[in-house]
Amino acid sequence: MIGSINPVRVLTMMMLATLCACAASTVEVRGSYPSPTIQRIPLTLGVYYSDALRNYTYTERSQTGDDEYYVESGQTHMELFNTVLPAMFENVVLLDDPAQADAMGVDAIFTPSIDEFQLGMPQKTRLEAYEVWVKYNMRLTGPDGSYIADWVMTAYGNATVGGLSTAESGINDAAVAALRDLASNFSISFTAVPDVRDWLARRT
Amino acid sequence: MNTIRTGCTLAHSRIWPALCVLLLAGLSACTSTTIDEFRQAETGISNDETVVILGRRQGAGYETAADFVQCVGDRMGRGRDGLSVVPEQQFVDALFPWFEPRTAPLRSDDLQQLMAQPMVSEKMSQFGIRYIVWLDGQTETTNRMGSISCTVGPGGGGCFGFGSWEDDSSFEARIWDVSSHTAVGTISADANGQSYMPAVFVPIPLLARVEANACNSLADQLKLFVQGG
Repeated sequence: MIGSINPVRVLTMMMLATLCACAASTVEVRGSYPSPTIQRIPLTLGVYYSDALRNYTYTERSQTGDDEYYVESGQTHMELFNTVLPAMFENVVLLDDPAQADAMGVDAIFTPSIDEFQLGMPQKTRLEAYEVWVKYNMRLTGPDGSYIADWVMTAYGNATVGGLSTAESGINDAAVAALRDLASNFSISFTAVPDVRDWLARRT
Repeated sequence: MNTIRTGCTLAHSRIWPALCVLLLAGLSACTSTTIDEFRQAETGISNDETVVILGRRQGAGYETAADFVQCVGDRMGRGRDGLSVVPEQQFVDALFPWFEPRTAPLRSDDLQQLMAQPMVSEKMSQFGIRYIVWLDGQTETTNRMGSISCTVGPGGGGCFGFGSWEDDSSFEARIWDVSSHTAVGTISADANGQSYMPAVFVPIPLLARVEANACNSLADQLKLFVQGG
């Protein structure tokens, strides 16, 4: 019986198993976001997603400094803004390049970016929850690139540790909760940002 | 109770029913529940009106569990006199972003401001919401005692020991009347009970259904309250 086992195969399998155990997991954040029930602003907004936002990946490291999780949230951030902004503005135009803005006849260009992303894992925080904090920089410029407003927003979300749920699903749920928090705060507070308020007073 | 009777009538020997009842009675640990009601105004609900039950999630220390909110809603909707209860997530999504943890109205005065927005009042009318019930609370486990050790060997395995803990549920329901934009009352439910886990080869959980009892008692009282009883 023992003679039939190929030692090379066993060694290869053991090495693969060891490699799999050490490899970092990738969490591609996926969620759905409701459209806000708010009054639309009668303007055309151009939206520019930079490559930094499109490909945003946060790396969570273990206590020994090894990569533990890669949290990819660029795609879901774009889905979030693509849901929220059309409910806030009469027209929304996606721009591949901010230089297209004038030709597209937009009133302003909105450029969101992620400044900071933090992840709280239960084994590190000793809490029964996965937590996500995100700090954003929101920038609103004229079609010619002139300054309109620039402000910081923060978002927080958590997900309770479930009996059978995995760390990946916990991270995903906490990130989706944080993005939902961003969407609610952004859609309500947008017109209250002083520079935005002044600009809207001039335009509408 | 029905399950106990069915299980015991299947046994042919006369001694088995008695043993069966004793064993099952012992399996349910005791729970005590206290309900307090404070009424601020008259209430009542018609057939075309609905209730929505929402969990408070503003606190830093805890969040009202979604499954408790669902439990209360399901119980209120049950029976011949069951109320029409709008599911929490459906309501919160439809009225996004006004009932999120960071933006939800904290006082009934805030509801008046919120209802001044035509899109919000229109959505509320579509759902037929008459009452918003805010649930706030949690279940805590304290006084954990004892220990159970389990071993597995070539000849088999088993556990031996004894453990016990106390569960304490404390929930408060604040009821807002959407038609008058006022708070009409508060009902609080406090339940506690001791659970035991003796282990002789196999752990036998004797669980106190504390949260389930708090849910059932609170839902029954809420139903009576909004019906004006």
